[in-house]
Amino acid sequence: MKNTVRVERAILNITQAELADKINVSRQTINAIESNKYVPSTILALKIARVFNKKVEEIFTLENND
Amino acid sequence: MNTRFLFPHACKAIGFVLAIPAFILMIFNIHYGFEFPFLEYHAKADHISLDNGLLFNIQSNNFTDELGGVTLIIGLLLIAFSRERQEDERIQKLRLESLLWAVYVNSIFLIISIIFFYGNVFLNIMAYNICTPLILFIARFTLLMYREERSLKNDNL
Repeated sequence: MKNTVRVERAILNITQAELADKINVSRQTINAIESNKYVPSTILALKIARVFNKKVEEIFTLENND
Repeated sequence: MNTRFLFPHACKAIGFVLAIPAFILMIFNIHYGFEFPFLEYHAKADHISLDNGLLFNIQSNNFTDELGGVTLIIGLLLIAFSRERQEDERIQKLRLESLLWAVYVNSIFLIISIIFFYGNVFLNIMAYNICTPLILFIARFTLLMYREERSLKNDNL
């Protein structure tokens, strides 16, 4: 699964730490999601989408090998 | 979404205060026979019964190892299962994976010990084995958290 969290974050101009604070996770978790090392739970994905005011599918998309 | 069975973050420090002295005490107790005199117990002379190894029938015992063992396990539990400052779902995943790793490694050590060690050496290993799963877990989890911290710093440089 790939995601556009880094891009969306740049559009809103917020840091990893600020995003982490908004959705109550650690900064490492945001970092791991952005570098595709961690797949967030549905709850977390929905929270991230809410911060960016977009649908989950617009931010997280499946890859061929998923 | 949080695991219910974790202690508050502050318990980690208490865990270290309990576990470190208890660990040293147990090392001295196992290898040098160190015992606190005030924990020595002898049954009264008129109390004659068969010493079947249960608490209320023992004729004499020194409770230093009992004290050390219980304190050590409680301390290690507090260190291992206290919440991180910011416990989230990914940290819980790391926690579970570390626990799995610790059980595997401990079992492998145990199998090797059963095959290669006998007599007193084996008994000592079994004594250590009381706390090795927790120690392995703590070591693995701390290492993973430390690595994450460091890679985060590198990414942001």
